[in-house]
Amino acid sequence: MELNPALLSGLILLALSLAAGVWLKFSAGRGKRVSTHEIIDLSKLKVKKGKSQVKTFGKKATLLQFSTEYCGQCPGVRRQLLEFEEQTAGLLYLDVDITDRLNLAAHFSVSQTPTVFVLDPKGEIKSRISGIPRPGVIQSELKKLGAL
Amino acid sequence: MSELKRIDPRGPRFGAAITSVISLIGFILSQETWLYGAPISFLLFVLFAWSVFYPASHPYGFIFKKFVRPRLGDPKELEDPRPPQFAQKVGFGFSILGMVGVLFWPVLIPVSAAFIFFAAFLNAFFNFCLGCQMYLGLRRLGLIGK
Repeated sequence: MELNPALLSGLILLALSLAAGVWLKFSAGRGKRVSTHEIIDLSKLKVKKGKSQVKTFGKKATLLQFSTEYCGQCPGVRRQLLEFEEQTAGLLYLDVDITDRLNLAAHFSVSQTPTVFVLDPKGEIKSRISGIPRPGVIQSELKKLGAL
Repeated sequence: MSELKRIDPRGPRFGAAITSVISLIGFILSQETWLYGAPISFLLFVLFAWSVFYPASHPYGFIFKKFVRPRLGDPKELEDPRPPQFAQKVGFGFSILGMVGVLFWPVLIPVSAAFIFFAAFLNAFFNFCLGCQMYLGLRRLGLIGK
């Protein structure tokens, strides 16, 4: 069968899109090491837990999630991490809404939500997970910190 | 914004699946001769305009509610309609590009169809909403408002 060029280009487009999709799925939700040694300033971050502003980090580690109002996947991740926080001693979970705080998004180069930062007890950013964390990724990042 | 009605995320994905088929056909046909691609560009333009300006009455939504939704289980999670609506606007932008192609510069027809296909395909089959991802990035750049 002779493949006509138009059909062939259509197949190429399909193949490229498929490859992009597989790559996006593959790379999303994995832990990435951060080596900027930046320490989160809680007094600037002004994040609330319940009714009061958070002033101290988790004793062993802190998970800092960036969410937006319009993020479809964020509430699910929040629920999951809140549950995990309850089961894990010394772990603090924080959720920051950056819908109206785009300067924060720019500062931390958050281009998609949810993005989760893993902080050590001093509040230094150790790793980040962009997109929905894959099963086990949060745990393995915490293990690297010795927090699990 | 709790007054916004949250939607079943599979609705937009279902629509994206149809859009991806239409745009792929448009992409292929428009390379035979641009005249074949023109009606499809126009169709995409109408469908996107419809979902941007009158989302409630869109045929995709109607087909989804009537024929698809009853066959699916309950959604795991409802989602904020703003990102998919924004993604529709991005698609609308590309469909305008296609119309410019029809009217002035036929090369733009397959280009616009290819972009629409790419985004719709990723949304439908990988649950990756390119337009939604652009939302935060574009707002950061100050190109769009809330």
